[in-house]
Amino acid sequence: MNPDSENFDSLRQLLALKRHEVPPPGYFNRLPRDIMARIKAGDIGDELGANPSWFQRFLSVFDIKPVFAGAFGTAVCAFLVSGVISSEHTPAFAADTSTPVDPLANNFPSGLTDSKEFVSASNSAPIISLFDQPSLQAAPVVDRQFYYPSGN
Amino acid sequence: MREATLTMTESISGKSGDAVNRAAVAQADPAAVDETELVQRARKGDLGAYDQLIQRYQERIYATVCHMTSNHEDANDLTQEAFIKGHQALKSFKGGSSFYTWVYRIAVNKTINFLKQRKNRSQMSLNDIDFNAEHDPDLVALISDKNPRREAGLTELQEKLNEGMQKLSEPHRLVVALHDVQGLSHEEIAKIMGCNIGTVRSRLFYARQQLQGFLADYLK
Repeated sequence: MNPDSENFDSLRQLLALKRHEVPPPGYFNRLPRDIMARIKAGDIGDELGANPSWFQRFLSVFDIKPVFAGAFGTAVCAFLVSGVISSEHTPAFAADTSTPVDPLANNFPSGLTDSKEFVSASNSAPIISLFDQPSLQAAPVVDRQFYYPSGN
Repeated sequence: MREATLTMTESISGKSGDAVNRAAVAQADPAAVDETELVQRARKGDLGAYDQLIQRYQERIYATVCHMTSNHEDANDLTQEAFIKGHQALKSFKGGSSFYTWVYRIAVNKTINFLKQRKNRSQMSLNDIDFNAEHDPDLVALISDKNPRREAGLTELQEKLNEGMQKLSEPHRLVVALHDVQGLSHEEIAKIMGCNIGTVRSRLFYARQQLQGFLADYLK
């Protein structure tokens, strides 16, 4: 498909008209002066404002080379994908939560843990308080019957 | 100087695909040789050197942006911003391409971003047509045809042509503006747009096809 080989002669003749469009007289004498004045004044363009933030400066790089935008997007995607993949390949002991692991089990000498006097710190017995715990539950009512000796 | 530049631009843009002619013109023009020197001086803070670079390329940059926007004020703003951005980013210019291609790319990217934001409002503010248009062989051939549909004046043709251009997508409009109006070669357009030559060719083909459909009443 060669665009030059097609019959676009009339169209190209018409497009020649655009080559004759001219800006107002003297425009190209003023334009360099305007640009240089803005450069000397430290103007950095309408879209950025006077004091661009680091983020605006970062975005302005994409104006010059849009390929950076693609590269940045690709890098972010690659980072996310690698994060997902690495999270799926975490060690088995961390993923296996069915059996609780005693964190102190391997931190004592074997002789000490084998002895009968050894009391594990991970006692699962309910904690008994030294004080009575207040309770809102009503005490069960006990039906008592009184017997009087006959003959009185 | 402006007339000389215009003459050179017209001689360049008159025929498409004449990169060889352009290279010959560049070699013959001593000013074209020291572009590298001007860039080096501008990078060191010489504003006069950058001013010369602006004067050298302002017309082509402005024309391209104006063909894209069909609005003089927008084209003026975007051309200024492109050169200001070019000055700021000069230190990042490695010289892998010519300064001309590089600043062209900045202008084109700015224009496309602007047009995407401007989607909902499109007001045309067309420039005047110079008196040379009446003597342009292409236009003479077009207007002197006896077809009654072509009795429209140059101004009406210009308006319809710009309306048709605005109906194209930005990439399609850009290739038409750069190739058929500015006269850049496929290779140069590919460098400016950051795509391969095949993409440029296919975009040019479909853009011309669409434009021909829009302007059918004013063509054969």
